[in-house]
Formats: sequence, structure tokens, C-alpha cells
Amino acid sequence: MILMGLLLTPFAAAGLAALARRRAVIELLHTLGGIGTLALGAAIVVQVWNGDVPTVVDGLFRVDALSALMIAIITFLGAIASLYAVGYIRAEFDQSHLPRARLFFSLFHLFVFTMLVAVTTDNLGVMWVAIEGTTLATVFLVNLHQTRTSLEAAYKYLILSSVGIALAFIGTALVYYAGAAKAGEIAVNWSALRAAADSLNPDVVRLAFVFIVIGYGTKAGLAPMHTWLPDAHSEAPAPISALMSGVLLNVGLYAIMRFKAVVDAATGPEFAAGLLIGVGLFSLLVAAAFLVRSRNYKRMLAYSSVEHIGIICLGLGFGGYWGIFGALLHVVNHALSKSLLFILSGNILLKYHSAEIRDVRGLLRAAPWTGALFLAGTFALIGLPPFAPFISEFIIFRAGLESHAWAAASGVILLIVVFGGMLASINRMLYGEPPAGLPCGDGLRLWLAPLAVNFALLLVLGLALPSPFVLALQQVLKVLGV
Amino acid sequence: MSAELLSKAVNLLSFIALGLTILLIIRTSLEGQVRVFALQSFVLAFLSALIAFYSDSLELLGVAVALVAVKGLMIPRVLNRAVSKIGLARVAAPYLGTAPALIICGVLTIIAFYIMTPIAASNPLPTADAIPLAFAGVLIGFFIMVNRRRAVTQILGFLMLENGIFLLALLATYGVPFIVEMGVFLDVLVAVLIMEVFVYRIKDNFDSIDVAQLGKLKE
Repeated sequence: MILMGLLLTPFAAAGLAALARRRAVIELLHTLGGIGTLALGAAIVVQVWNGDVPTVVDGLFRVDALSALMIAIITFLGAIASLYAVGYIRAEFDQSHLPRARLFFSLFHLFVFTMLVAVTTDNLGVMWVAIEGTTLATVFLVNLHQTRTSLEAAYKYLILSSVGIALAFIGTALVYYAGAAKAGEIAVNWSALRAAADSLNPDVVRLAFVFIVIGYGTKAGLAPMHTWLPDAHSEAPAPISALMSGVLLNVGLYAIMRFKAVVDAATGPEFAAGLLIGVGLFSLLVAAAFLVRSRNYKRMLAYSSVEHIGIICLGLGFGGYWGIFGALLHVVNHALSKSLLFILSGNILLKYHSAEIRDVRGLLRAAPWTGALFLAGTFALIGLPPFAPFISEFIIFRAGLESHAWAAASGVILLIVVFGGMLASINRMLYGEPPAGLPCGDGLRLWLAPLAVNFALLLVLGLALPSPFVLALQQVLKVLGV
Repeated sequence: MSAELLSKAVNLLSFIALGLTILLIIRTSLEGQVRVFALQSFVLAFLSALIAFYSDSLELLGVAVALVAVKGLMIPRVLNRAVSKIGLARVAAPYLGTAPALIICGVLTIIAFYIMTPIAASNPLPTADAIPLAFAGVLIGFFIMVNRRRAVTQILGFLMLENGIFLLALLATYGVPFIVEMGVFLDVLVAVLIMEVFVYRIKDNFDSIDVAQLGKLKE
């Protein structure tokens, strides 16, 4: 019942926001939608935490611990981004651009809705439909500013993601065939496939997983299928960039994790491990190469997402209890820190009206709060203690050194390159003289307040790693069969 | 209908579908290309109906009807509207000429057989023999997208690729469940409508639908 509410709330918010006429009403509906989705998401997570597996519509939707983890990330960061979005959209689109503000708020919730469907459905075909839906819901958001560059970014995003996801459908159909051939009449339900996994034809499943990694890897931003990502994530409005980088990429990974659990049982863990370590390392390499010479801070953050998704893939590939545990923890940590930084990048863009690093000078003096938070967030992102990403990266590479020493060692070297590149870039932004005539002070300071929660969580997870959270992740590991 | 007869009919129709994909490369007028796509959708719908009668599947018959409605009628209509609205722009402007493109199609078909023949051999269904043909259609659709500069032809390449995937799933499993297939049609329809909007926006911004002009975003 709560599950139905969780899915219908963002859907209703999207529809009502599209119909409302007055700005105040749209903003109210938007905020209520964001908070309401978070409240219902929290209720579901508690239910799952108590050992329940909520199911509705004849098992079409089914929330296990892995789904609950994703619901927590989507609804929490959705709420944070929705609060900031009110202020940001007021600053970007005045009363004469009300239709575009309405489009933004409506598509925002449609986007959250498609992501929630993707992670709550048990049917792998419906999951595919929903993940393609995330592309369709966001493509106009990428082009919201209607500039030539955002048009280019949105068109590339639409075409490349649609083709990528089409390949994932081949993988889904092949897994469905493998399941139907062996286990008789089973639907494309993940739970049924998982139960029958060790009797599936390993050749078919292997080929299917290659398509799945290429297809959903395109959505997750894995190199070499990542080329749309820096364009789309840098052209989208800041709250959407935060959700695309912090949340949507994880939905792509989520799909890969689901299939990996089936593939591991059908073929043994080596096959998926080799593939994931390969694309993970390549993503790290590509991201490092672009991060050392980034000229645009939003593109810098986007490439850093490619890097972190690569790290998570390495964790999944290294496998074992600690590899997967580290990967799941890093999903959470990357989501928290990247959404934070993208929201702050919106503040910098509103202040300097440029996304070029060379145009941003003296950020710490011109906008002290934004600058200081941006610095702290970057420290978290590049893996400095006491923030949480340090712990998860440590766990992943510690696991890797035991099972795949060479891959882990190369990964660590690439991390150091990224570390230096990003520090050098933000160093140029933070210090120096602000451009003449730039008014001092932070824009939207009050709208940044929710980010305090992100910081608190990054510190708590980095310093203490509370035991209820560890127990929750262990439940997820059990779902994945580790 | 016997399994042997079905197998023969399926092979023939899959071959025709692949031939139509290759025909898209030869046709230079956008209107002609849209007609080729519509025709292919009808061929696939006929094939689905045939399998539906063979396997007594009412769901699959529904899929065939939806296929005619969405990909045979609605999407070609949207594309024709786009072609007439943006004025002429009839020449399809490929990067590679017809002869080298056809050679690449041949190579892609061989690759498709190399990858998919083991899968087809392990599949007991009478339709399985044609799986490599369907996969060749997917690869050639992908090649069309890469090779053509006009946004409309890229969309057609994408739709051919989609049709190839539909055929692949149909041959390997008699189609994925009804609800999934309907969701896929909805996604494709919405995607094409969004692509249409982008064709107009590209035309307004760059005064052409040559996607080679979209090259501003760089490091």
C-alpha cells in the first residue's frame, strides 16, 4: 500500500505541476511532492529493515533490501535537490519564463517516478522500459536553457542512451530465453530467474551479460560508452545534474548488479568479474586523462562521476564480501558527495555566469559559504579522510589487492592522478582576485541549508559507520547472493 | 501449420526484413526511407501474427496489432510530417557511399552469424534459425545511424535497430511478455516524438538538419 503511494506521489506531482497555473502553486506542489516522496520512501525502507518484502500488483513490484537502498538514495537526494531547485529556478527563470519553470518542475517528478519504477519492479522488462523512461523524462531538462550547446548535449544524450539501452534489451531478451528454455514457464521476474539461475545455459547468459554491460553501462556512464555524459551533465540545470550524476548513474549500475547476481550463479563469478574490472579500469583511465586538463568545472564533476562509477565497478568485479560491500558503500558515498557538489556548482554558475574554470576567480572571497562548502565537498569526493568516500575506496582497493593485485594497483595510481588534477583545478577557482565589479556574498544561501544533511552523513559514515547501516548493507549483500 | 513450414516462412520473412534494412542504405529520398521502414514494420507484424497462430498466443496477436498501429502507421506519419515541415533536404548525405556501405553490411552480417549461430543452435524453437538475420539487422541499423548525417535518417536507423531487436526477441522466445512489449512500444513512440521536436530545434538553430554541425561541445 505504501509502495503504491511511493510510486503515485511523484507521478501525481508531475501531472499536477503541469496543470497548475500560478507559480506559487507549482512550487508548493513541487515541494510537497519532494517531501512526500521522501516520507513514503523512508516508510518503505523501515518496512524492509524489519524483514518485510513489500509486494504489489501481483508481484510486478517487489522491494527487497537492494531496492530499498536505491529507494533511500533516490528519495533522499530527490528531496534535497527539489528544495534547492525552488530557489535555483526562481533565479534562472523569471515570471516571463513561467512555462519553462513549469516544465522543469513537472519533468523533475516524472524523472523521479521513472527511477522509482526502475528500482522497485521485479520484472526485468518493465525495469528496461522504466530506465528508457528516465532518458525520455530528462532529455528536455538537459535542453531547458535552449542554447545551442544544450541542444547538442540533449540530442547526443537522447540518441546514444536510446541506442545503448536498446542493446540492454537484447541482453534482457536473451536472459528471458535462457530462463524460459530451462525453467519452463518463468516470467522475466528477477526473483524467479535468481532462484533458477544455476540451471540456465551459461553460453546464452554470458552473451546476454555482455549486452547488459554495454547497454546499462551506457546509462551508468562507463567508458567507452560515456561520451554523452559530460555534455548532458554539464548542460543540465544544477539540481538535475545533481540527480543525474548522484542518482541516475546508480540506477544503471543497479540494473547491472541485478543481472550480475543471476550471471554469477549461472556461470561462476570469473566471467562477470573480468568484464567489470576491465570497464571499471578503462573508465578510471579515461576520467583521469580528462580530469587533469579540465577547463569547465561542471564537466570536471561529470568526468569525476565516470571515475567513481568505474571505482564501483571495480568493487563489484573484485567481488567477495568486502569488494561488494565497498561497492555498495561507495554508491552511497558518491551519491552524497556528487549531488552536493553539483548543487554548489549551480550557485557558482549563478554567481559568475560561466562554467569555465578560468572565469571563476576568488570564489572563497566572493562567495565564502559556497567556496568553503565546495572545497570540503571536493575533499570528500577525491577521498580524503575524515569523509566517507575514503573508507569505501579503501575497502574496495584492499579487497582488490587480495584478489586482483595488478588491477587494484593500477586503479590506485589513477586515483592519485585524479586527486592531483582536481585539486589543481579547484585551487584556481578558490583563490585569487574576484573579477572586478562582482558583488560579494552567497546567492541562495538559505537554499543551501539542506546540504548540511549531506555533510553530516558523509562525516558520520566516514568516522563511525553506524552498525544499523552496516546491517542494512549486509541484507543487500544477502539479496545479491554474497 | 507444421513446425517445418513455420520455420521456412519465418526464415523468408526475416530475410525480407533484413533486405529492407539494407534497402534503407540505397534509398536516397527521405520519403522513400520512411516507406521502407513502414513496410518492414508490416512484415514484422505479419511474422508475429504467423507465430501467434502457430503457438495459439492471443497476446502475440495483440502485439502484432500494436506493431502495425505504432510502427506501421503512427511513427511513419510523424516522420513524414517532419520531412515535409523541414522543407526539402531530400538527399540523405552519408559519410560513406553506397558501394562501401554495402560491403560493410556484408561484413556485419557475417559477424552477426558468427556471434549468434551458437545461440540459435542451442534454441529448440522452430523460429531460431533466423536469429542471426535479426541480429544482422540490429548491427546494420546501428551502422546506418553512424553513417548518416541527417537527423531524420539517424532516427530511421534507430527504428530499424529497434525492429531488429523486436525480431530477435520474437524469434528467440516468441516475444517478451505483453506488458513489456507494450511498454517498449510506448517508449519508442515517445522517443520518436521527442526526436521530432529536436529535429525542428536543430533546424531552427543551425538552419539544417546536418548533425555534423553538432560538434561544439569539446574539452
